[in-house]
Amino acid sequence: MGHEMELLMGDRTKTVIVIGGGPAGIEAALGIARAGYRALLVEKEPELGGTLNRLYSSFPRWENPRDLLDSKIGELRNCKDVMVMTNSVVTECRQTDAGYDLTVSNAQSGESRNYPVDAAVLATGFDLMDISVYGEYGYGIFPNVLTPLDFETKLKEWSHGEGEKPRSVAFFKCVGSRDRSKGRPYCSKICCMYTAKQAGAVKEMFPESKVYVFYMDYRAAGKDYEEFVRDVIENRHVRYVRGRPAKVLPENGRLLVRAEDTLMGLPVEVVVDLVVLASAVVPRPDTVRLAEMLGAQTDRYGFVEPQKHNPTRAGERVFFAGGCGFAVEAPFAQLQGSAAAAGVIALFNGG
Amino acid sequence: MEKARVIRPEERIPSVPEKLFLFRSCTGSVEYPGTESAIRETLKLLGIEAVMDPDQTCCSGYLLTCSAHKPEVSLAVTARNLAIAEKKDLDTYTFCNGCFGYISELASILLHNPAYLEMANGIVSKLGYRYEGKTGIYHVQELWYRLKESIAEKVVRPLKGLRVATHNGCHYVARQYGILDDGGYPTFHEKMFEMLGATPVFYKERQLCCGYSVGRGFTHKETMVQPHLYKKFKSAKEAGVELLTTVCPGCNVALDREQPNLNMRYGEEFGIPVIDLAQLIALALGVPIQKLGFGANTTSLDGVLEKLGA
Amino acid sequence: MPRERDVDRTESLYAKVDIYKLVPNLETCLQCGKCAGVCPVANLSPSYNPRQIINDILRGREDRWLKSEEIWRCFWCANCYTLCPMDIPFPLLMMQMRYLAIERGYGLKYFFPFKRFALRAIEDALTFSPAKPEARERIMKLRTAIGLPPWPEVSDKARAEYKALFDMTGATDFLNSITEEQEKPVDLMYLEGRITRGKSEGN
Repeated sequence: MGHEMELLMGDRTKTVIVIGGGPAGIEAALGIARAGYRALLVEKEPELGGTLNRLYSSFPRWENPRDLLDSKIGELRNCKDVMVMTNSVVTECRQTDAGYDLTVSNAQSGESRNYPVDAAVLATGFDLMDISVYGEYGYGIFPNVLTPLDFETKLKEWSHGEGEKPRSVAFFKCVGSRDRSKGRPYCSKICCMYTAKQAGAVKEMFPESKVYVFYMDYRAAGKDYEEFVRDVIENRHVRYVRGRPAKVLPENGRLLVRAEDTLMGLPVEVVVDLVVLASAVVPRPDTVRLAEMLGAQTDRYGFVEPQKHNPTRAGERVFFAGGCGFAVEAPFAQLQGSAAAAGVIALFNGG
Repeated sequence: MEKARVIRPEERIPSVPEKLFLFRSCTGSVEYPGTESAIRETLKLLGIEAVMDPDQTCCSGYLLTCSAHKPEVSLAVTARNLAIAEKKDLDTYTFCNGCFGYISELASILLHNPAYLEMANGIVSKLGYRYEGKTGIYHVQELWYRLKESIAEKVVRPLKGLRVATHNGCHYVARQYGILDDGGYPTFHEKMFEMLGATPVFYKERQLCCGYSVGRGFTHKETMVQPHLYKKFKSAKEAGVELLTTVCPGCNVALDREQPNLNMRYGEEFGIPVIDLAQLIALALGVPIQKLGFGANTTSLDGVLEKLGA
Repeated sequence: MPRERDVDRTESLYAKVDIYKLVPNLETCLQCGKCAGVCPVANLSPSYNPRQIINDILRGREDRWLKSEEIWRCFWCANCYTLCPMDIPFPLLMMQMRYLAIERGYGLKYFFPFKRFALRAIEDALTFSPAKPEARERIMKLRTAIGLPPWPEVSDKARAEYKALFDMTGATDFLNSITEEQEKPVDLMYLEGRITRGKSEGN
């Protein structure tokens, strides 16, 4: 560790801090380092990967996210110009003529160190909205109402043969999204796809279970996306009901879902064991805090706002990638990371 | 998204009033005078003076929603009634969800639509009134929740774990913004029950409407309201509810006076008495039973009172 | 049956229902169905459907609802409004639909009971006070036993002014103008639990 520190501080080639070690940040760090600069990859959790770590599977190819992460971590290991700092957060930041003066604190060792850098890439990822405001769905009140990330954990449990087998599961889409009353007015983009994935995964593991997806629309705008959703509906027999559910009520230890099937024009009721609420994607509080420190613009929701005509740049010496800009899928987070790296390289070469 | 939906009692009622304008409810004062009496006694015990004014008229909200009144007259009547409270420099407290819902909605329409305010003030000024929007509009259930600790301290007749459930009614949570609890899953009545020593019961159809708010109990009793109330009572009975509370005399009429009809039609004995939350509080605070007016109730409270040793 | 031509229309159509301008955001409706999912009336009689009503009004097809029996079933529980992700005040729309229906003579049988109550309330400044002397006796006895004045205190000034407000706003005239002769029969749309057109549309 100390040897790397010397390299970093001694030979003063340009250094970039990449805040966030998910797919976006990893790709940005690799891009920067391969171009001959130094990257500090700062990640607050004990391991790299971000939200991807929590996922059981991915769309549209049903791949294991672990494979992608292992491959990328291998690349990082072979890249001597990336210094990976896990369990670390940026606690202070001062803008200088040449870039930033940052303090990074390590939660594990308790140490804080100062680093001068020439540019920054924000890749702090997204969070899910706190949906306990939807009292009618009972999150936080009834035990079997889950967030999608909780459910990915459940899928992992089931795949190891642990946990109770579900007889039926209901997925609600647009919880907190497309809602001007209690949530966010925007569409969170990824929920239609990951809900189809989660529903399809349940049917794969438990073919006799009844799986319902309550939707207003399904948005499958991407390569292989529509085919993925149709496969879940047509081959895996997940029942899609068009209608945002009105209420979740307890019934004999299970959960009763009341909704209207708007295509039939009739109220419907189903009894399920689990309800999964596809929650709106929101920025993390860290994003807003760091953006302010780095001089990056954010929009009224707290997502990082790009400069005009430059979708990867948020300020004079700060770029961004991934979920901190808006909801995004892992491959596109990687793309944005590469774009941010290219932006940094251009900056250092007079661009 | 910007306006707060649920606010804490201290934000809703920052300082507890010493005096308040108690808005008379037509149904409350005629059908269940015990509610009015219970509220007055409870306020006395809490050290708050309730001022009523014989000049106050019906809120004119019920018949507005039954399409018998046009909005113009209800806006004018609301402006006049609230002007009476404003002249006394007091906040308005209703004890009927209906009055609360209608007055809040009409006041909100007046204050957000200058044309309507001008029209209403134009009319009531001919009678010597002027509405400025200064009086706060509250329901007494908010005051009980705000003072729940003081109420808990004054309990002399604890409710011995009685299985009490609430019928929240519709028009309070329908306000949605700046209220004490979430319309999706309100719990503040249950918290009050705990304070009084009762056992709150959550029954499945807890949030179902009473069906009486716009006179459907007159026009659609057999076709709509009775099957609807049957669902509610079935659910309450299955959950073992011994007493239902309301915060609206209208709901009280529906739930209390329809029960014998339901018993007859569906061949079941529901026998769940229905009283106002204020009457329950007054009971726990030791107000003499004669003052609580349970004689007005169709479904008898004898079983409950015997259980409590009152 | 000729095809619908209403896709041709582009102007805002619901202004003719929302005469008091109390529902500015009707076009934000996503047809999500939360209202119909929670509506107690829709759960009892599927031919009443708040989401469907909004859909029809936005397409200028409020006619069949104004002539229907269904719109008189709404309880005004406002659960639709409470759950709506766009905060559409559907009960206020329903109220205005009922006024329009009455103006055209539909649904009067659901209006007359309240006309009688209203005309009495105007005299009392109190709604639903019973007219029968036995009922009044019972209430006065009850109130006296509790320690309250035998009848809710409503001043003469209140009564006079309440009546004056009704006269000044034309509400008394409105009540008196609706008479039995104008009544037209309403269509019941309920046919085997599905939403259908009314009989009068030649179906």
